[in-house]
Amino acid sequence: MSLAVDIIKNNGSSERFDRDKLHKSIVSVCISVRAPHGQAEATAHSVCDAVIDWLASRPEVTSADIRTIAGKHLKRYHPEAAYLYEQHHIII
Amino acid sequence: MGIPISLAIIAFAALIHASFQLSVSMLTMLSGHAIGAKHSQKKLFNLTTNFLLGTATLTLLLITGLSFILVNLFGADTPQMVWAGACGLLFGVAISIWMFYYRRAKGTALWIPRGVAKYLHDRTKATSMGAEAFGLGMSSVAGEILFIIAPLIIGALAITQLPGVWQLLGVGIYTIISLSSITVVWMLIGGGHTLGRIQKWRENNKYFLQFVAGAGLIVLSFFVYVYEILGTAVGGM
Repeated sequence: MSLAVDIIKNNGSSERFDRDKLHKSIVSVCISVRAPHGQAEATAHSVCDAVIDWLASRPEVTSADIRTIAGKHLKRYHPEAAYLYEQHHIII
Repeated sequence: MGIPISLAIIAFAALIHASFQLSVSMLTMLSGHAIGAKHSQKKLFNLTTNFLLGTATLTLLLITGLSFILVNLFGADTPQMVWAGACGLLFGVAISIWMFYYRRAKGTALWIPRGVAKYLHDRTKATSMGAEAFGLGMSSVAGEILFIIAPLIIGALAITQLPGVWQLLGVGIYTIISLSSITVVWMLIGGGHTLGRIQKWRENNKYFLQFVAGAGLIVLSFFVYVYEILGTAVGGM
């Protein structure tokens, strides 16, 4: 599902918000901290819903905004996954 | 320089080498992507083991290559000027590590060019075969060459002071000890520890590791300077 929201990426390019992409990244980070698959899917579903609610009134946001909001909501469901999600771009 | 002193210098230089973190960061990321992509435990083991072997291979090549060059240049009679230069390099790198090693921000981002970091990040994410992981392990050593060159050179100089067969032992000791930190992380991942806990420990202790690496280089520099330069000068009087 795509919302009519443009995401400005770090390199300046933009793309349409893609729920599936966000969902996959949340599932992936939950599984990487050894969460059960069902829990990872449910968590990703809830986080994506929360991000879409937040995006509803915003026509244009940055990818860093999406990451911050998704991380904030993920923290409620799985703090360790949220920590790794935040750290992903600042490990190296 | 006697055999025990040379081996002690090699072991200490390798221990300082082990405290550098690029390979550990990349291994953590590689494991995260492999687990997140739902690869089997066997595949995870294959990728991380190949990464470790790649790191070991380039470290072994660097320490043997440097030792070979130094033996051919100076034999066992390394000029004091070279020892003094190596001590200066150790001291300079130690100060650089204290000032620059980690970026002053959240996370464990290192002071390496951002272009290189992004390339390594993207390659780590794209790695799905053992051969790629092996190359990535080698890249992780090459990416940190500016910092590891100091312990590598002093280790190689100490190796040149050893008799023939002992040089092989020196190379082995350096390689094995320099891989100790990444081997511990490899075992933790294989043993089922979560990456979040490993990364949290690394982030919480990053300034301590930075201090220890810099202090270790200064102690090593001081010891080698006193033993090789001052000791020889006083002994020669």
